[in-house]
Amino acid sequence: MSRVVKKRFTPKVLPVSERLRSFGEVVLGYDYETSVREASRCLRCPLWFAPCSKACPLRVKVPAFLEYIVKGDLEAAARKVYEDNLFPSITGRVCPQEWFCEGSCVVSKIGESVSVGLLERYVGDYARENGLDEKILAEMVSKNSGVKGRVAVVGSGPAGLSAAGWLRLRGYEVVVYEALHRPGGVLAYGIPEFRLPRSVLDHEIKKVENLGVEIRLNHVVGKTVLLSELLSEYDAVFIGSGAGTPKLLNIPGVDLNNVYTANEFLTRVNLMRAHLFPEWDTPISVGKTTLIIGGGNTAMDAARVALRLGSKPVVVYRRDREDMLKTARRDEVLHAEEEGVEFRYYLQPVEFLGDENGFVKAVRFEVMEPLNELDERGKKKIVGTGRYVEIPADTVVIAIGLEPNRLLMEESGLRFNEDGTIAVDDHLMMSLPGVFAGGDAIRGESTVVEAMADGKRAAEEIDLYVRRKKGLA
Amino acid sequence: MFRVTMKEDLNEQDYYLEVEAPHVSRHWRPGQFVIIVTHERGERVPMSVATINGGRVGMFIKKLGKTSVELYRDFKVGSSLYAVAGPLGRPLKLESYGTVVLASDAVCGHAEQLGLAQELAKLGNKVISIQTFKTEKEVYPEKYLAKKYVDEHFITTLDGTAGYKGHYIDLLRELLARREVKAVFAGGVLANLKKLAEATAGLNARVYALVRTIMVDGTGMCGSCRVRYNGVIAYACRDGPWFDARLVDWDDVLRRDARFKKVEKIALDKYLAR
Ligand SMILES: Cc1cc2nc3c(=O)[nH]c(=O)nc-3n(C[C@H](O)[C@H](O)[C@H](O)COP(=O)(O)OP(=O)(O)OC[C@H]3O[C@@H](n4cnc5c(N)ncnc54)[C@H](O)[C@@H]3O)c2cc1C
Ligand SMILES: Cc1cc2nc3c(=O)[nH]c(=O)nc-3n(C[C@H](O)[C@H](O)[C@H](O)COP(=O)(O)OP(=O)(O)OC[C@H]3O[C@@H](n4cnc5c(N)ncnc54)[C@H](O)[C@@H]3O)c2cc1C
Ligand code: SF4
Ligand code: SF4
Ligand code: FES
Repeated sequence: MSRVVKKRFTPKVLPVSERLRSFGEVVLGYDYETSVREASRCLRCPLWFAPCSKACPLRVKVPAFLEYIVKGDLEAAARKVYEDNLFPSITGRVCPQEWFCEGSCVVSKIGESVSVGLLERYVGDYARENGLDEKILAEMVSKNSGVKGRVAVVGSGPAGLSAAGWLRLRGYEVVVYEALHRPGGVLAYGIPEFRLPRSVLDHEIKKVENLGVEIRLNHVVGKTVLLSELLSEYDAVFIGSGAGTPKLLNIPGVDLNNVYTANEFLTRVNLMRAHLFPEWDTPISVGKTTLIIGGGNTAMDAARVALRLGSKPVVVYRRDREDMLKTARRDEVLHAEEEGVEFRYYLQPVEFLGDENGFVKAVRFEVMEPLNELDERGKKKIVGTGRYVEIPADTVVIAIGLEPNRLLMEESGLRFNEDGTIAVDDHLMMSLPGVFAGGDAIRGESTVVEAMADGKRAAEEIDLYVRRKKGLA
Repeated sequence: MFRVTMKEDLNEQDYYLEVEAPHVSRHWRPGQFVIIVTHERGERVPMSVATINGGRVGMFIKKLGKTSVELYRDFKVGSSLYAVAGPLGRPLKLESYGTVVLASDAVCGHAEQLGLAQELAKLGNKVISIQTFKTEKEVYPEKYLAKKYVDEHFITTLDGTAGYKGHYIDLLRELLARREVKAVFAGGVLANLKKLAEATAGLNARVYALVRTIMVDGTGMCGSCRVRYNGVIAYACRDGPWFDARLVDWDDVLRRDARFKKVEKIALDKYLAR
């Protein structure tokens, strides 16, 4: 193993000084030469063994596509990726690779793991920039003869887009119903442009539409159109409605002005473009110091958005950095740190304090300390110390998590778990025959790639179900 | 899509706007609202539904800030809105109460009265409507008043130039003293809804209010619209927008309504200076 290059090649990154007031993409990725060099670090584990591929929820055949990069055949590399993953330009950018493919890479035993994510992104971007993706997809869809059935998809986040794409590829007519005026789910309203540029996302969505998927925007299932109507109009329904409702802290002062949920804060900027106000109509109000409460991806995104809006961000987490890296993508933490986001650990908010006009002016925290015990998720248990600190802030963003949006529940009469997630069986089917679900709607907050994997598997299950129902299987 | 089919002045500051939105009109029930977006750069703006004519949705809109003024000036019959979403919010669970009062003193309240009046009448209620305007000049044209759907209709003006002199709360107080009112539905100026809640504090009737909050998505995703209701946090877009007026923390609602006052003025001034 002595010939293994232990250190990974670093991608081009926008200099910190240029990031402070710009929403331009931070990680600029590899060029051709670097991607070949990086791909050459892979030991090409046989596919039946390759731990990277097994750890990927989509089972992307990593060594196979890396081999094509090394050979310089990028079109073949793209084809290999597309066999399992329709959105490499998205997953390559946002997957927490350290928990999946890269986390299991054998090279990490002796050095740094192969940068699978950046390579996947490189291949995805190459295919997009050269029109190969449309070509590959057109070939994939042309393998079908005739229409097997019609499926409705609820929600156009990663789960819904993936389900729609894979269903088209299996020969189904698909209509996606989306509540908002723009498709993409969290990819559009949550994840900022400096991580996933709009042009990339728009292209990925267009790609699905070009496959023949219709996206009906401004349609709230349960209100605009009822689940029962979808069931009578379509052979099956896939629900990818996400975990769209923010959790709030039930402590005094949470109603004060300039106390935002991360979803409101990020939606105003990412979906509604409030940073371009008044050229765009939606406003946002931020002060000099923004306290972000939480330690996940959402908190990192909110902090980095606040920074770009000209405020000083301070992330306050109730545990330590080590535990934060179990909930936030490593790169985002590192980028936030190098951009100058301040971090405070072991502080739990107990009260928001307001000024005479009802705007927040400070937050009171209890100082926490770790116990020598781990909780179910492998994080250190913490207890209060009875000591308190006050941190002044004129803007607060609460980023402590999301739960499923209960909008659908009211009308549908479907069975839900206690935490609001949708209950499904081993085939991703709900208590109602013909209704399948996946993504954050069944998992609670999870990841883009897991949502996509659910969408892909649901397409397979729906195909089986519909063919069986029609006596074709 | 979402073509404007009609635009008409209601008075100097309010206008009627009707758009094609068949997907909204199919399931709309009184109490539900829509969200409109003027153009790609527009804000998501909630609006009450005043009328449903086939696949067309009619709204009463007040020229207030950038969006509502731009919509009035730049959108003609035949123009298209960028988005219309809905129906959103919970439909009001209406019953046969007996005598009910509808009260409003501003554009959204006047709009809600039309749908509510028809539905309450259908359920066999005796419906009394009170619509408050500042002066006679501001009273809406008759065809846009709730008058034709109700048993008794009152106009009140603050200066007494038309109808009863005073606010709907004043007239409501008189009615409550004389009649057995079982339910009140009110919408309009938030500060007056607070007064209504206070004025009806001990009253043995139901009092519902349209809680107008600042929204973004309107689907329960962002928490912008949150209100303190009966001690806990509710989302006006998902759990409302109609709530029991006496369980709403009105100071909270009023404070949160002022969140963007400063920046909103910038947007309007910039638009007007074009
Ligand atoms: C700020 C933020 C940053 C994140 N960063 C990362 C990251 O870097 N990497 C990662 O892997 N994961 C990340 N995540 C998590 C990831 O985004 C989610 O796990 C993923 O988006 C879930 O996909 P989904 O399709 O299940 O749901 P969503 O993306 O939530 O999409 C659901 C869609 O359904 C629509 N919808 C809901 N109800 C209805 C209805 N009744 N009718 C019609 N439409 C409806 C919604 O409007 C939405 O568009 C992040 C999450 C957030 C909030
Ligand atoms: C359920 C509901 C029903 C409504 N019905 C009507 C109606 O029938 N007719 C009508 O004219 N208006 C109605 N409104 C209010 C309407 O949404 C605002 O007047 C509109 O957003 C103003 O936009 P603007 O750009 O013209 O003014 P701006 O200058 O942006 O705002 C002026 C004021 O309008 C309110 N407002 C601003 N943005 C929003 C927003 N995104 N969501 C909610 N309120 C906001 C705030 O009080 C703000 O201070 C309703 C609001 C709600 C929540
Ligand atoms: S989809 Fe995500 S987890 Fe899978 S190989 Fe690609 S980057 Fe890794
Ligand atoms: S585990 Fe690492 S070395 Fe093995 S195939 Fe995957 S990327 Fe290559
Ligand atoms: S407007 Fe976003 S949750 Fe109600």
